[in-house]
Amino acid sequence: MTTLERIGTVTIARTFKTLLPFAVLIAVWWGIKTGADVPDKLLVAPPAVWASFTGLVSHGILAEYASASLRLIGTAAIISFVIGVPLGFAVGTNRYAARALEGTLRFLQGISGIAWLPLAILWFGFSQTTTLTIVIYTLIVPIIFNTMTGVRAIPENYALALQSLGAGRLRIVRDVYLPGALPSIIVGVRLGMGYGWRALIASEMLVRQGGLGDLIFGARTFGQIDRIMVGMVVIGTLYIVVDRLLVQPVETLTVARWGVLRR
Amino acid sequence: MADKIEVSGFRHFFRTEIGSVQATGTIDLSIKAGEFVTLVGPSGCGKTTLLKAIAGFLTPSEGNILCDGIPVRGPGRERGVVFQELAILPWRTVRRNIGHGLEIARVPKAEREATVARLIGLMGLGGFEDRYPHELSGGMRQRVAVARTWAADPEVILMDEPFAAVDAMTRLTLQEELGRLCAATRKTVFFITHSVDEAVFLADRVLVMTRRPGTIKAELEIPRSASGGRDWDSFTSDPLMQKIAGDVMHLVHAERV
Amino acid sequence: MIHRWIWRLLPWVPAVIALLAWWAWFAIDRPPASVMPSAFAVIATMADLAFGGRLPGDILASMARLLGGSALGIVTGMAAGFVAGLNRPIADFMNPLVVFFNAISGIVWLPLVIGWLGIGSPLAIFLIWNTVFFIIFQNTVLGVQLVPEVLELGVQSLGGSRWETIRSVTLPGALPYILSGIRSGLGFGWRALIAAELVGATTGLGQLIFSGAEYHRADIIVGGCLLIGAIAMAMDRWLLLPIEKRTVIRWGLVATGQGR
Repeated sequence: MTTLERIGTVTIARTFKTLLPFAVLIAVWWGIKTGADVPDKLLVAPPAVWASFTGLVSHGILAEYASASLRLIGTAAIISFVIGVPLGFAVGTNRYAARALEGTLRFLQGISGIAWLPLAILWFGFSQTTTLTIVIYTLIVPIIFNTMTGVRAIPENYALALQSLGAGRLRIVRDVYLPGALPSIIVGVRLGMGYGWRALIASEMLVRQGGLGDLIFGARTFGQIDRIMVGMVVIGTLYIVVDRLLVQPVETLTVARWGVLRR
Repeated sequence: MADKIEVSGFRHFFRTEIGSVQATGTIDLSIKAGEFVTLVGPSGCGKTTLLKAIAGFLTPSEGNILCDGIPVRGPGRERGVVFQELAILPWRTVRRNIGHGLEIARVPKAEREATVARLIGLMGLGGFEDRYPHELSGGMRQRVAVARTWAADPEVILMDEPFAAVDAMTRLTLQEELGRLCAATRKTVFFITHSVDEAVFLADRVLVMTRRPGTIKAELEIPRSASGGRDWDSFTSDPLMQKIAGDVMHLVHAERV
Repeated sequence: MIHRWIWRLLPWVPAVIALLAWWAWFAIDRPPASVMPSAFAVIATMADLAFGGRLPGDILASMARLLGGSALGIVTGMAAGFVAGLNRPIADFMNPLVVFFNAISGIVWLPLVIGWLGIGSPLAIFLIWNTVFFIIFQNTVLGVQLVPEVLELGVQSLGGSRWETIRSVTLPGALPYILSGIRSGLGFGWRALIAAELVGATTGLGQLIFSGAEYHRADIIVGGCLLIGAIAMAMDRWLLLPIEKRTVIRWGLVATGQGR
């Protein structure tokens, strides 16, 4: 076997290993549906979900709702990153600021974004602004927090070593603090995306101005179980795709490469 | 005296994604009851593989391993192991770590405590009984590991570079203590190291291994004074010992990778 | 001496600044009560709700749901985690499913499960369980797999059986990860609960703040949010941290479990 063939075989084996559990799951789901004769208003069979999916795709409905959600999380992520990382740095490099803000950030983390939703509705009405505000709040807290702790966790010796080489403050930030805090920042972004995606769906359910949360909650009102299940699968898949295709590669490129932090 | 451990025709391969890798060459060896045998060889020669097989942690690809004439199948309490890494449990105090083997063997509490107290005294751990491992120095922790193995009273003790992670000064003390402990208890010991001095200092017999896939290339008996006592002062001033150490060094040196 | 006092008071500075800003907002431009309540209005409303109002019942309902859902999640998550952690093939089989269902854990289930369980506590408990389970499961598997093999071999060479090894090595060894899983699991569960109660319940703190939006009562919302944060913090500090201190920190292990 050539190396290429071997890689091919490994890839096929891996794909099979990933898909097999889902095949089993779908078989069990189908079995329960037909075996226990569950009514359609509680659970539908896999083919009905597939039919609903193709229908939603061909009418462009799914694309519309999904792109609304993706646009929102993307905007929120960029804004949170641009504001959160510098803020986290400013706080992290100053031990007094860090001491002052740590407790407050922990407290804010305890109040989920979704808890502020009623207030945001009072302020901004049932609008996209409301959802955006909630998602930014949800994303930015872990980003600030993890940037801050990342900066605080860098061994002092790294900075001292550079100082003794004659490096200035800016240089130390660029060569020590930025790469040193990066793993923690990425953890913060991943966590934030996890929280943020859920907050987004929840907010869309209540605000009802488009997005996948709106899609599945609206389908509830009409008892369209097939549509709800399509929505759930799309929500899960999009989250995994975003996490694997955007966040994880950055992590592997930097963190794993340097062999620092995290297993 | 009968052979306590008998290894015949041992050979081991590791299966990896790119095929199998030969870890050792063919190895035959036997250890008599009460004998202290050290095995010295370059890193990666397969000495740890051999020890793991005797301990029963892995099944040899080829060959047989007998302990008291009975084939080894899996780990057992008659073969105690002291590891290079810290293998005592962080969530047990010194006292409970040392007594763990006896606890497993359901030894009554009073008897267990007497044994533990005796070993705490022997290993100079007095006053640290209720400390957790992380509160001890590296040398102290390794003392606990040695005491734990001795407390379980196995017939054979397998030691895998137990002092490699300890600082050089402490190591000298631990080696002398181990020498005394062995002289007092007459255990059968199989001890792996890459330090020539350590091997010659502790052993009744030294085995030298080739580079990977390792086989045993030489075997040297170390003459011991009747008392069996060992200390570094007399070791370094004994020209015979220094000559043996020099010979072993030459044998090992030839195996540089 | 003075320095020490400043250091101790420092964590309160942001709260003081926030209060001042709040006060300044009212001094300069008085917002309508439906947009922003005054601090006094919040305190008065919360006191009203606490004494003779619905607040005690809401807190109790929320806590009971959190307790029920989390307990269920911890027990099932640990059990499944141990099975998968100790059996490589089972872990390999479960992993893709866990990745997928973790991605839709919690609130995403609400529209579907409302049809199964209706509105009320069972729905909230299901959503909390669904959130907590995956965090506990993943942390348990990680913890079990990361227990250094040498510790297990050590106990085996003392004559320990497989069960003894699991009991005295694997369980305590995985505990730091499990505990950190419980800590973040309860945090996630609390979020899921509030979200679930917004639409999926008739009582509870989530429902309280949602009613604030319906009646345009910002005082109820702000007071409710602060209470939600305070309960989460109190739970972490007085319940979960002490447990961690008594075990993990005492043993000199560091809880390096992931956030989720």
